Amino acid sequence: MINDYSLAGRIARITGLGLCLVFTLFPLYWILVTSFKDPGTIFAYPLRYWPTQFSLANYQGLFEQSNFAIYLGNSLIVSTVAAALATVVSLLAAYVLARFEFVSKGAVMGAFLVTQMIPGFIALGSLYILMTRMYLVDSRWGLVLVYVAVSIPLCTVMLRGFFENVPASLEEAAMVDGCSRLSALFRVLVPVMTPGIAASYIFNFVNCWNELFLSVTLLNSDSNKTVPAALNGFISSFNIDWGSMSAAAVLSIVPTMILFAFASRYIVQGLTAGAVKE
Amino acid sequence: MSVTDTDRPTATGGRSTPNPRPRPVGGRRPFTGRTALVLLAFMLPAIVFVGLFTYYPLLSGIQMAFRNYNLNDLSDTSWVGLQNFRTLLDDEMFRGTVRNSVVWVVGSLVPQFLIGFTMALWLRRRFRFRGAYQALVFFPWAVSGFLIGILFRWMFNGEFGVVNDLLMKANLIDTPVPWLADAKYAMFAVIVANVWYGVTFFAIMILAALQSVPHELYEASAIDGAGKVRTLFSITIPSIRTTLALTVLLRVIWIFNSPELIFGMTGGGPANETHIVTSYMIQVTQEGDYGRASAMGVMVVFVLLLFAIFYLLAVRPKKAMR
Amino acid sequence: MRHRQMLAPIAAVLAAATLVVTACGPGPAEKADGEVRLQMVESLTNPTRTTLLKKLIADFEAKNSGIKVQLISPPTNQADQKIQQMLQSGQGVDVLEVRDTTVGPFSTNKWIYDMAPDLKGWDGLEALTPNALKVTQQGGKSYMVPYGFYGLSLFYRKDLVQQAGYSGPPKSWAEMVEQATKINDPSKNRYGYSFRGGLGAGGNAVAIISGYVIDEINRDNAFKLTSGKTIFSSPKAVDALNLYLDLFKNASPKSSVSWGYPEMVQGFTSGTTGFLLQDPEVIATVRESKTIKEDQWDTAPLPVGPTGKAAQPLANAGWGVAEGSKNKEAAVKLVKFLTSGDAAMTFSKENSLVPILKSAADDPFFKDGPWASYVAMNSSPDTYIVVTQPRGVAWSTEWGNKSDADVQKLITGKAQPAEILKSWDEYWTKKWAGN
Repeated sequence: MINDYSLAGRIARITGLGLCLVFTLFPLYWILVTSFKDPGTIFAYPLRYWPTQFSLANYQGLFEQSNFAIYLGNSLIVSTVAAALATVVSLLAAYVLARFEFVSKGAVMGAFLVTQMIPGFIALGSLYILMTRMYLVDSRWGLVLVYVAVSIPLCTVMLRGFFENVPASLEEAAMVDGCSRLSALFRVLVPVMTPGIAASYIFNFVNCWNELFLSVTLLNSDSNKTVPAALNGFISSFNIDWGSMSAAAVLSIVPTMILFAFASRYIVQGLTAGAVKE
Repeated sequence: MSVTDTDRPTATGGRSTPNPRPRPVGGRRPFTGRTALVLLAFMLPAIVFVGLFTYYPLLSGIQMAFRNYNLNDLSDTSWVGLQNFRTLLDDEMFRGTVRNSVVWVVGSLVPQFLIGFTMALWLRRRFRFRGAYQALVFFPWAVSGFLIGILFRWMFNGEFGVVNDLLMKANLIDTPVPWLADAKYAMFAVIVANVWYGVTFFAIMILAALQSVPHELYEASAIDGAGKVRTLFSITIPSIRTTLALTVLLRVIWIFNSPELIFGMTGGGPANETHIVTSYMIQVTQEGDYGRASAMGVMVVFVLLLFAIFYLLAVRPKKAMR
Repeated sequence: MRHRQMLAPIAAVLAAATLVVTACGPGPAEKADGEVRLQMVESLTNPTRTTLLKKLIADFEAKNSGIKVQLISPPTNQADQKIQQMLQSGQGVDVLEVRDTTVGPFSTNKWIYDMAPDLKGWDGLEALTPNALKVTQQGGKSYMVPYGFYGLSLFYRKDLVQQAGYSGPPKSWAEMVEQATKINDPSKNRYGYSFRGGLGAGGNAVAIISGYVIDEINRDNAFKLTSGKTIFSSPKAVDALNLYLDLFKNASPKSSVSWGYPEMVQGFTSGTTGFLLQDPEVIATVRESKTIKEDQWDTAPLPVGPTGKAAQPLANAGWGVAEGSKNKEAAVKLVKFLTSGDAAMTFSKENSLVPILKSAADDPFFKDGPWASYVAMNSSPDTYIVVTQPRGVAWSTEWGNKSDADVQKLITGKAQPAEILKSWDEYWTKKWAGN
C-alpha cells in the first residue's frame, strides 16, 4: 500500500518514531528521576541523568510536611464518584441523541458544544455564590456535582458515537420481548458497549483528577483539598520545593497513566467516533 | 465532536476497513407521546446538571460584562453598556495578549499538526509493538495542563534546568539560556511544552482516519504509477479531509482556552510576554475586576464561535466526503 | 414488571439532581450543643507560619472552651481573591487576615466589621505601639488590629562582602551596585543581588525611587511629593531607576526577571546571591538554610539614597472580623487574643515581624543579631523615614500587576526608565483625579 519498503525509508521511519518516543517520554522520565534524587543533590552540578542512589526522601518529606495522603484520597473519591455519575447521566442523554430525531436536538447539541468554547473563569465568581447558597462550598460533594456538569457534554458526545456503532435492532428485539426502553438500554446495549463506556468513564475520571481552578475555588479547608490544588499550593507558598514537588507530580501522574495505558485505544475510538467518517 | 455529520457509523480501531459498515443501524424513528416522556426523562438529568452548574453561572457571569462590577468597590455596580469592552480595546496590554494568543495558537498548532501527521503516516503500517507504542505516546494526554507547565518549568529552569544542560553538552550554547526569564525565548518555551502535549492527539486522530481509507484507492493509485508524494496529496489527504478539518478546529478551541499550562509555567511573564487572553483573564479576575474579565470571556466565546462558523463554511468538511 | 425495577437508577440520578436544586439544609456553622465554630482565613500563608498559627489557636481553644476554630490556609497568591469571594458570599468566614492593601476595598464593600465598640476599654489597646494604635484606629474605625509590621532591610553575606574587599555592607544604593557587581561571578553560579523581577517587582522599584526623592516626599501619601505631583514625575526618579537597572544588568542573575518572593529568598538561602532586600519575616527562613551558616550572613539597614536618607514604607497586616459572621463576639475574642500578650509576642518573634507591642522594646530578642539593624533603623527616624504608601486603594492589585510588568519591561530592555516613569506618573495622576 505504501511504497516505503526501501531501506532508507524504513530507517527514517524507525528513527522518527524513536525520536518522537524520546521526546514524549523524556519530561516524564525527568520528573521521575528528580523525585528519586536526594533532596541535597537536586541542585547539584553537573546534573545527573539517573539517580546514583535511589532516595525516597522526597516522598517521605511530602507525606510528613503535608497531608498528601488526604489529598490523594480526596481526589480519588471526587473523581471516582463524579466520573461514574457523569457517565450514567451522559449515557442516557447520548442514547436519546443517537437514536432519535427531534426538533430541539440541534439546540441541545449546540449548547453542549458551546461549553467547550467558554473560558471557565467567566463563571467562577457566580458559581461560587450559587454554591454558597446551596451550602455546597468547601464540600467534596459539591465539587462532585460541578464536575459531573462539566464532564457531561464531551462524555455525551463520546458515548453517542459508541451508540451509533450498535445496531438499533438489538434493543428493538429486546423491547419486542417485553423489556422497557430503560431495561433494554441497560441489559442489552450497555453490555455490548462496555469498552466504550469504560473509556468514557476513564476519560471523565482523568479530567476530574486533573482539574485545578474549580477545585481551588470551591474548596477551602486543607482536609478537602484535591491533588492539583495541593500542587498549586506548593508553588505559590514560601519556596518552590522541587523535591517535594517532583514527588507529588509523580504520584499524581501515575494513576492516570496506568488507566490511560489500558484504555487509550477505546478513548481514541470514543474521540474519533463522531468525527472520523471517511 | 462531530459538529456536522451524525448519521454514519465509524470505522475505527486497529484495522483498515475497506468498506464502512452498512448504513445504520439505529435509524431515526418517529415516536409518540409516551416514548417522548421517557426520552425527556432520559435527557433531563444531563440538561439539569449542565443548565444549573454551567449555564446559570455563565449567564450570570456574562451580565457582569456590561456592568461596573469590581470586587474592590461594589458600592456602584450599575450598567455601563459596552464600557468594559471599550476599556479593553484601548488597553495596550490586552491587545498584547491578543497578539500573543495568535502566536500561541498558530505556533502550537502547526508543529502539532505536522509532527502528528507524520507520526500517523509512520504508524499506519503495522509493526510488532505498535499497540504498546501508541499507549506510550498517549501518556501526555493523561497529564494536566497545569502539571505540564510545572514539568517544563523545571526542565527550562535557567540555573538547574536539564534543557540548558543538554544544549551545553551538545555544544549548541555556551552559557545557560534564561528560557523563562527572557522575553525572546519564553513564548518559545511554553509553545514547546504545548506541542509536547498536543502532538499525540493529532497523531492518533489522524491515524484513526487513515485506517479507514479504503485500500483499493491506494492500489488504484499504485497502478496509475503515482509516486509517494502524489499519492499523499491526491489520495490520502483528500480522503481524510473531514478529520483533519475537525481536529484542527477542536484543537484551536482547546489551545485558545487552556491557560493552565501558561499559568503553571510562567504565570504570563516575563513582562506579560506569555500572557494569552485567557490567562490574562485569570489575572484580571484575581485583581477583582469581574466586569472586565467577563467582557474578555464574552469576546473569547464570540470570536471562537465566529471562527468555528467561518472555518466550517470554508472547509466544508461534509462535502469533502461525498 | 421489571419496568419498575429498572426505573431505580434513573430515579437515583434525578433524585441527586433535584437534591441539588432544593438543598437548603442548615448551615454548617451552628452546632446543636452550643459550641461556637469559627472559620478563620489567613492570607500571607507559609507553612511555618501556619504551624505557628495553629499552635496559638490551640492555646486560644484551651482557654475558651466552647469555641472551636478552623483555620483555612489558601495559597498566598490566591488567598485574597478567595477571601473576597468568601466575604462576598457572606458565609464561611468569621475571622480573617486583613492587609493594608485589602482593608480599603473590604470596608468599602461593608464586608468587614467595625470592632471599635468592642475594643473600647480593652487593655490591649494601651499595650500597642503608637504605630500599631494608629493602624487600629484608622479614621475612627477599627476594621483590623495589626499583628505586626513588615519593613525592608538588607540581608547580606558577610563572607562574600569581605572577600570582595569591603569592610562592611553597603550603606547607600550606589555602594550597593558597586559591591554587588564585584561579588557577581556567573561562572561560579554566584550573583550579587537577589533581584525581584517577578511578583512584587514594582514594590522594590518604588522603594528605591522613594529613597531618591525622600526630601520632597509626602510622608502620609508616599506616592506624592509635597508639591502634590507624583514621586514618579521627579527627575531623581529617573536616576533611581537607572541605577536599579545597573544593579540588574551588572549584578543579578538573568533569570531573576521572573523572581518573586520565593525565588529571591531561595537565591539567598541557596548561597547563590550576596544581597537580598526583604522583610524581617525572612530571618526565620534564612536561619533554616542548610547551605549558608549563621556566621556567614547578617542584616543591615536599608540602603539610603543620594541625600543619605531612606524611606521605610512600613506595610502592615492584621486580623479582622467578617460582617457576615454570626459569631462576632467569639470572633472579636480571638482577634484580641492574637494581638495581645504572649500570643502577639510569640507571633512577631517566630514569624520575625516588627512587633506591635511596646513591651518588645525591652525584649532582648529584638536587639540581637539580625534584629539589630531594625533597632538601628528605629533609633534614627530622621535617616530611615517611615512613610505611608497608598496601599489601600481600590486599584492596588491592578497597580501591583502593572508595575511588576513594567519593571520586567525595563530590565528586559523593552522600555526606558523615563517611559516607565511617565506611564506611572500618568496612571496615578489619573487615578487620583477620579478615573
